[in-house]
Amino acid sequence: MVIDWLSIMYQGLLVTLQLVGYSALIATAVGAVLAVMFISPYRPLRWLAQLYVDIFRSIPLLALLFFFNYVLGKYTFALGLTPFALAVVCLALNEAAYVGEVYRAVIRSVPSTQWEAGTSLGMSWRKTLIYIVIPQALPPAVPGTLNMVIQLMKNSALASLISVNEVSLVASVLVSENFMPLEVFSVLALLYLAIIVPLTLMSDRLERFLAVRFGLSDKAVTALRVREAG
Amino acid sequence: MAVSEIIFVLAKGLLVTFQIALGAWVVAVLLGLLLCLARDMGSRPLRWLVNALIALFRSVPQLVLIYLFYFGSGAIGLHIPGIVAAIFALGITESAFHAEYYRGALMVVSPNQREAGKSLGLSGLKTFRLIVLPQAIPYALAPMLNSFISLAKLATLAAAVGSPEVLYSGQSLMQLTGQVTLVISLVIVIYIVFSVPLSRLVRRLEERIEVA
Repeated sequence: MVIDWLSIMYQGLLVTLQLVGYSALIATAVGAVLAVMFISPYRPLRWLAQLYVDIFRSIPLLALLFFFNYVLGKYTFALGLTPFALAVVCLALNEAAYVGEVYRAVIRSVPSTQWEAGTSLGMSWRKTLIYIVIPQALPPAVPGTLNMVIQLMKNSALASLISVNEVSLVASVLVSENFMPLEVFSVLALLYLAIIVPLTLMSDRLERFLAVRFGLSDKAVTALRVREAG
Repeated sequence: MAVSEIIFVLAKGLLVTFQIALGAWVVAVLLGLLLCLARDMGSRPLRWLVNALIALFRSVPQLVLIYLFYFGSGAIGLHIPGIVAAIFALGITESAFHAEYYRGALMVVSPNQREAGKSLGLSGLKTFRLIVLPQAIPYALAPMLNSFISLAKLATLAAAVGSPEVLYSGQSLMQLTGQVTLVISLVIVIYIVFSVPLSRLVRRLEERIEVA
């Protein structure tokens, strides 16, 4: 019985993993852009990044999904965009606001003497950022990125509410057929845990390792902790 | 339906959202403290169990836990209302984060303080209650407030099990009036108007505590 459920849920799980994969790519890119805007010498860029973060951290993810689905869905459907694509965009825009702040903290953790070294070599702000600061910021950015993937995985369950055929929706449909909610949802929870718990442990371990190896300040490490998104 | 009427219905939903967030917050505070204490003071197997529980709570998607509590309780003849299922599901998942906040705050209090309590002849529990806890509370305050804001957003998940919180009220209004864009935009604006200033306030509080 459970074997049958698992084979049905497997299809949904593939959709969940696709949701997480695509939205992780977009969220990383948007988050990186936000982080650079945050540390840029131009005030309007910093201000815009703060505005983005303030707004997207305030909107509950489910409300954002409904907004995209009900309001923009009318137009995007004509463009051939499925609820899946809308969910990817929503998950990414929401998570970028969190990971952008994490990346900012990571870039800030690079000592300011490195910036000065770049300047003293006659490098521009942009060149210093690209050739000196970002390469040093990459290793400490890993646990934060892993946490982002974890958060996206948890958040992707909400996509079921705009009828994306991911694993939670598959489980709900299964329940409506066999009326065994306790058993099916327990299996569903275990399925999520089987993927997320190892990732959580891995990111904790990495965080501690990097805190020692790179001497990150407590504040930077706290910023790397998984942040809850609504 | 006039805009004022829509806002009135949404305000009633907001009240339910507040109830869910507050209920879940209380569950998270109590359970988080229990987890933190058990991990700090408990025996080795207990510590191991608590660590496993925390990893579990941090990893399970909130929506799945809400479904499990709501539909699962129905299946065993114990019909828990959607609001209660949401309060416990959100409170339990959030408690794992609270345990981390408390540990961080307790670590700030110098071990000398515990020794001072011991040298005054206070028991372990009394030292904790009278000496360590009062000094740790300020450091836990900001993350605890942030957690409430985040729970107020997570409370929207209760809409999935038919609790009449603000997003669910919005959905009913959309079906009733057909003014989809207006209603969902209002819900989003309500959240922005409430949480941006609150987050700012908490950040300022955080900075002041760090300076002090």
